[in-house]
Amino acid sequence: MDEKQKFQAEKPSTENAKASKRTKGESLKGFKVARRSFLASSALAAGALSLSGCKKATNDSGEMGGTMNISISEPVSIDPYNLQESEGTQVGSQIFDSLTVYDFENQELDPAAAVSWEANSEATVFTFHLQPDARFHNGEPVTAKSFKRGWERLVNPNTNPDSPSVIGYHLAMVDGYADLEKGLGTELTGVTCPDDLTLVVKLSEPYADFPIVVSHPALAPVPEAALEDFATFFQAPIGNGPFKMKEGTKWESGQYIELVKNEDFYGEVPALDGVYFNIQKDIETAYREFQAGNLDIVHVPTAQLEAARQEYGTSEDGYTMTTGQEVLDGVQSSTYYLVVNNDDPVLKDRDLRIAISLAINRQNICDTVFKGTRVAADNIVPPGIIGYEEGAWHDSRYDPEEAENILNRKYPIDSTFSDGSPKRGSIGQIKLSSNIDGGHKEVMEVIMNDLKDVGIDVVLDQGEWASILNKYQTSDYQIGRLGWVSDYPIMDNFMYPLFYTGTGDNQSNYSNKEVDTLIERARKILDEDQRVAAFQQVNRIISEDMPVIPILFYKLDYVGSQRVEDVYIDPQMLIHLEQAMLTF
Amino acid sequence: MARYILRRLLQFIPVFFGVTIIMFAMKNIVPGDPIKLIAGDKALTPEVELSLRVANHLVETDDQGNPILDDEGNPVPTPLWKQYGYYLDGLLHGDLGDSYSRKLSVTEIFANKFPYTAKLALVAIVIEAVVGIGAGLISAIKRYSFWDVLVTLVTSILVAIPAFWLGMLLQLFFGIILKNWTDGAVYLPISGAGGPASPFNDWVHYILPGITLAAVSTAYAARIMRSQLLEVMNQDYIRTAKAKGLSRRQIIYHHALKNALIPVVTYIGLDFGAMLSGAILTETVFNWPGIGYEIYRAITQRDWPIVMGGVTLIIVIVLIINLLVDISYAFLDPRIRYGAPKDEG
Repeated sequence: MDEKQKFQAEKPSTENAKASKRTKGESLKGFKVARRSFLASSALAAGALSLSGCKKATNDSGEMGGTMNISISEPVSIDPYNLQESEGTQVGSQIFDSLTVYDFENQELDPAAAVSWEANSEATVFTFHLQPDARFHNGEPVTAKSFKRGWERLVNPNTNPDSPSVIGYHLAMVDGYADLEKGLGTELTGVTCPDDLTLVVKLSEPYADFPIVVSHPALAPVPEAALEDFATFFQAPIGNGPFKMKEGTKWESGQYIELVKNEDFYGEVPALDGVYFNIQKDIETAYREFQAGNLDIVHVPTAQLEAARQEYGTSEDGYTMTTGQEVLDGVQSSTYYLVVNNDDPVLKDRDLRIAISLAINRQNICDTVFKGTRVAADNIVPPGIIGYEEGAWHDSRYDPEEAENILNRKYPIDSTFSDGSPKRGSIGQIKLSSNIDGGHKEVMEVIMNDLKDVGIDVVLDQGEWASILNKYQTSDYQIGRLGWVSDYPIMDNFMYPLFYTGTGDNQSNYSNKEVDTLIERARKILDEDQRVAAFQQVNRIISEDMPVIPILFYKLDYVGSQRVEDVYIDPQMLIHLEQAMLTF
Repeated sequence: MARYILRRLLQFIPVFFGVTIIMFAMKNIVPGDPIKLIAGDKALTPEVELSLRVANHLVETDDQGNPILDDEGNPVPTPLWKQYGYYLDGLLHGDLGDSYSRKLSVTEIFANKFPYTAKLALVAIVIEAVVGIGAGLISAIKRYSFWDVLVTLVTSILVAIPAFWLGMLLQLFFGIILKNWTDGAVYLPISGAGGPASPFNDWVHYILPGITLAAVSTAYAARIMRSQLLEVMNQDYIRTAKAKGLSRRQIIYHHALKNALIPVVTYIGLDFGAMLSGAILTETVFNWPGIGYEIYRAITQRDWPIVMGGVTLIIVIVLIINLLVDISYAFLDPRIRYGAPKDEG
């Protein structure tokens, strides 16, 4: 055991946690019932005026008062099978509980469905010890086999041959992944279950961050029912999390998803009775529903943000909603950047890329286009990610004089634009591609003008996302716009996919042997501090090459109604409802 | 008449094939690889990408369902005519395929959403027919009166207001302002088609989107009704009827109205077909779970099975409605006889 690194965190006794939480919930519920009865009688008094003929008879008292109404847009999936974007993950993470969970507030990885775990010294074998007595919402016990089943379901293309999952890549480092992904066999051979409560995962290459990978909600366990009827489970998944699908309901596409609390949850039973996810197409409509008092948590349209701050108050830490401080504006762990084609004959020049970065006034974009709903990026790795360093990308700043100094050395002024301003004709015209929606057009126009100010001629190339993405993926572009939202809050999730030679997401075609070697080495380091330091070193080397140009970090833009108390939304936009309460 | 209907039904076949062939051509012309778009910003692994292409008949496969590779090891794309064959084969078996991104069958997606579109279209068409024809009638009968001016003014405004803006105004007034004024006693739902969290019965949710969807068409229907009735009233046979001593009411309801209705019915019929094809703006503003937004989303994401399935559904609906409209002419105007020999018509 000496050569093994052991990670173990004491979790409060399940029974105690349950008991204390229930007490909290019940006392609140008593208050809610009283308040609700009062409201019902007031409504009755106003009956003559109301559209009472149109109104539904309400169910029994307290239940509705304990249901939080949250606006989301249409998820791609709420089943771990294809859980990939913020909206589906929002719902999926309430229904399912993965092995671990990352605590952004304390910056530590906590146990969830696993009570503890350990790794061998090479970071190639991980052993997870599971919660005893854990059960799925249908009563089936959660065992190591439930995890193996869930993981194989993602990777095996024959799970649903008509529509294979696209997120099996989370397990790419697990032994046997490559064969199963090709449909050879039915087993992920690297995953074994010596007993019901022990899950052993053998990796094909060292990866010390694996315990944080398994915090992803897509890597949750699934019951046997998941393999029986795909379409039914996909729309009404049965999980092991703190909330479950309301009996007899399913995900009503374009309408709602109704969850109720799982009284038998092995962790903290939520104080809320339920969560009603209202699926909205348009944030303006959702905000009107919020203003009418029909929704509890929504995104604030940019134009309404200042008014919302004045009316509802801004959260102190930017991530926690409390009464009177309901607007969240914390920085998200996602980056808006310019991807530069490093194979382009002009842009393969590192100095030119740095000069372009220095010429862009990021703060101006944040202030004018996004009205303060974004912050200038000083790093490709955003805040919230373990190891983020302020200003780590030294040249991701606004310094037009320095940009001109660099450009003057290689690309002196040699002609003029049609308006007479100086131009560096030797660079040629640079094409700046972006999708036209989502305010990107305005951002690209500001960048075009900033670059013109230092003599670089830029032409905009805008189109639908589908056609623009096609250009990036076929390297038919010079500079483009992309965003990167990490799957896990680790630097590796930026360094490897975006900058390791030849990965599918490395659309800048950046290739640096030293970086590749250092990333491989960093992935093997078990000690977290040393690993983070190694990735910080990789990040600094990449920043000197400036293969991409960080522009902005996204910020949260949620607002909660005045009855929302203690809702924490993390930098990955995941709404944490463990502590959430509704007050009146 | 039966022969006419049969002939029209047979005409459906070339129209149907023509449109589906155009769709297949578009699928190849429009830029954007639908498979690469499935994972959003992130890249697919080559194996998953290949599995998806195999699942969607985009690459050739052998008898075991394994992809056939060319000399360079790349999968051989399925020729377009063959993809079209797979599509038709599925269609004849009642299978529109699976959505690329939604992991559900297209049939299931439309089975969930089309009823909402159909019910909303029905509400809107009833509003359009009743209000449009009624307002047009009043306007024509009481020509140059206060009512005529009012109808002209209101229809001008409605024609000029974009549907989404009218929808927003209705939401603000009936959903927020009225609720605040009456302290929550009287208001209408802002969005959605009902569901367990709504304090209203589902039918109340149809009021505002129904009005919004019907608004512009109602205005047009009223204007067409007015001008047609005025034109018919100047015909010789109306003068004859007057000379016969018939009352104004009898002339209008028994002689003029049926003739004047033909263009209005044509307009309303075509409009009903359009409404059944989904209404993207109304569905967006009112968060209506209909097929219009679903098809729009599918187009932006190149989710071709949904686009193809949606277009197929719309073609069938529009063809049937057009046929019904044509048949209705025979009832409105006895001179119209379909399928009869020319010398009798």
